[in-house]
Amino acid sequence: MSRKSAPRSLSSRLWDSLTSIRLTVTLLLVLAVVATVGTVIPQNEPVARYLASFGPRWGPLLVRFGLHRIYDGPWLLVPVGLLSLNLLACVIRGLPEAVRRVARPFTAEAALNLPLRGRFTLPAKVNPHEAVLPLLRQELGRLRRHNSPERLVYFWESGRFRPLGPYLIHLSLFLILFGALVGKFWGVEGRLAVLTGETATEFTLSKGEGSAPLGFALRLDNFTVDYYGGTGTPREFRSDLTILQDGKEVGQTACRVNHPVTFGGLTFYQSSYGSQLAGPVRLKVCKGQDCHPLTLGQRRGENLPDGQGQVMLVRVDANYQGLGPAVLLAYRAAGESGQPQIFWISARHPELARQPRTPFHQAGPHHFTVEDLPLKFYSVFQVRRDPGVWWVYGGFLLCLPGFLLAFLRPTQRLAVVLEQSPKGHWQGRLLGASPRAREAFQERVDRLLMQLKKGTCP
Amino acid sequence: MISQVLGLVTLIYLAAAGLFLAAALWSSRRLEAWGRGVLLAGLAAHLGAFFGRWVESYRHASQYTPPEGAGAVLNLVIHQVPLSNFFESLVFFSLSVSFLGLVSFRRHLKGALGLVVALLACLILAYASLAVDSSIRPLMPALKSNWLLIHVLTCFIGYAGFALAFGAALLYLWQTRRSKANPVAPPQELDRLMYRAVALGFLFLSVGILTGAVWADSAWGRYWSWDPKETWSLITWFIYAGLLHARLVKGWQGRRIAWLAILGFAAVLFTYFGVSFLLPGLHSYL
Ligand code: HEM
Repeated sequence: MSRKSAPRSLSSRLWDSLTSIRLTVTLLLVLAVVATVGTVIPQNEPVARYLASFGPRWGPLLVRFGLHRIYDGPWLLVPVGLLSLNLLACVIRGLPEAVRRVARPFTAEAALNLPLRGRFTLPAKVNPHEAVLPLLRQELGRLRRHNSPERLVYFWESGRFRPLGPYLIHLSLFLILFGALVGKFWGVEGRLAVLTGETATEFTLSKGEGSAPLGFALRLDNFTVDYYGGTGTPREFRSDLTILQDGKEVGQTACRVNHPVTFGGLTFYQSSYGSQLAGPVRLKVCKGQDCHPLTLGQRRGENLPDGQGQVMLVRVDANYQGLGPAVLLAYRAAGESGQPQIFWISARHPELARQPRTPFHQAGPHHFTVEDLPLKFYSVFQVRRDPGVWWVYGGFLLCLPGFLLAFLRPTQRLAVVLEQSPKGHWQGRLLGASPRAREAFQERVDRLLMQLKKGTCP
Repeated sequence: MISQVLGLVTLIYLAAAGLFLAAALWSSRRLEAWGRGVLLAGLAAHLGAFFGRWVESYRHASQYTPPEGAGAVLNLVIHQVPLSNFFESLVFFSLSVSFLGLVSFRRHLKGALGLVVALLACLILAYASLAVDSSIRPLMPALKSNWLLIHVLTCFIGYAGFALAFGAALLYLWQTRRSKANPVAPPQELDRLMYRAVALGFLFLSVGILTGAVWADSAWGRYWSWDPKETWSLITWFIYAGLLHARLVKGWQGRRIAWLAILGFAAVLFTYFGVSFLLPGLHSYL
């Protein structure tokens, strides 16, 4: 803007900086830097992790300045807040003028005021309509026309609503930012893990510690996961849920990935799952023909029934390597030293124990098989209530027409004016303007002028 | 079969690049037209390979889950669009570059600019065929969404627009540095094409980010999680927004815009490759 020497009031200077593009570009740059820092420093990890990986000097400093929660704190909120003000100020300043420009009709008079782009002459005898109209129609499509005794005016306009485009975009960005803030301050977000058959009445909040009541009860009736045949890749998983209010069942529904479920203002998203033991694992252990049953709880060392070794149950998996349920066992025979053997025992494929160089291989002298592996699934949901999401979606919808207007159809205005000279010749003038697409417009003007000259002067 | 076709397409793009080079050396209009024609032929074969892979991917998936009813078939077709791993995304990226080059540059696609575009498409495809695992893998549940198609499609068309702008920017900087009187392409024209490609790319990247947000909202329950891929696409978007304002509002042109276009494309490359290989996150499959 102007830098006049006349002293200006503080508020008008503030307004100027608030509506300046320089502020916009600076804020965009600041945001880019903040976001970069946020991807370089891992976010939302426990504080001890930063002390460990950044050392005693930088670790505490980093936590102190909130760089480990960069997206939740002032580092992000301040520039975003300023950008919102900047956007709003720009809309307030420019929108009325843009609306006025769009609302003003394009008339023959307005057309006559467009800047001159070129001249051409028609021979005296030709009919000007026939000479000019087909050419213009071919290049421009529909035209408007204004006849008066002294002149003929053809005029044409495209992209009339273009000036509104940027404002729709800016307004939509403002809506999105506003919705994000609403969600941040008035929304709720958390996690819920439920075991099959159990009922949950509250969920864990993801911000800070603690939990919040659901306001109803949610029972996980069944959890199913199926896999792409022969692999460990899940194809689909779903949770069958029953909703209870005051002890009465009020609804049943299934929640799947990409198919969330909403009830009582909360939305549940299937996010992950796992399995845990529902009781002790029963194995059979054999040394030669001498077999015994063996019952194991998780992570407790046990002596073998024959006293000839020790085992510990390390982990269970509902579908290890796509081969169904399996347990991971650590085993050491009596008298051996060094690392224990660690191997998986597949409940469905006991024969794998004899395959060397697989995770299932058992070197002996004891051999283990699974008798009973009682597994229970638990299902994990992301839980959310976000009153701001509709503002955000509104912004998404609004910005699409904004982009189309702003980028796809530049404003162009053209007019051809024909006037008869005293000698009877038709003098033509080509007028036009396109403030934001000058070069493309110039090309069009050159092409038109060439055709007009060629087509009209044989 | 499809990999052979892709190999052939790579060679066709190389041939188009050669024709454009020859056209530039001998300033021949005929050769320029041939270059565009050959590029178009390569694009047609490329599209064929793309749809071929789509069909193959569909067959693969329907072995696991034979769809029942027209709705399920349509859903499976949409989910199996070949845009779900690194190889497929590179193939589509190359396709978008040649497609967008032909569509948005049209008759300006000639000489040195044509050479740059054809070479870009050729190199991306060659990298995909030679260095990247091309096997078809089953989709994980989160990818099974109708948003996948529109999200990835728009993102990569956006990237392609930025790649074209990058090519034009390189050319612009290279030839305005030499004080030779006989430029390979008129600088004003390059400047305008650069802007056109950035505007197209920006439009598509914006739609890509929006559809990604809508998808994330239905799959993860958050439309924005500051996952590194998201964050870097936003950084990229900021840079190009800055470029557009600098040009349209401040009237910047030429070299400064060219440098911004190069900076922007560096961010695109980091969003595309750097994030996948260097930073862990939710987008680990692409
Ligand atoms: C991050 C966000 C922003 C995006 C994505 C954005 C996008 C755009 C787009 C696409 C245009 C159209 C350019 C044209 O063809 O004229 C535009 C123009 C413009 N923007 Fe922004 N903008 C953003 C932020 C801002 C802010 C904060 C301001 C406030 C200073 C601003 C001021 C302007 C102005 C004055 C124009 C020119 C309007 C016109 O052409 O009449 N922009 N913006």
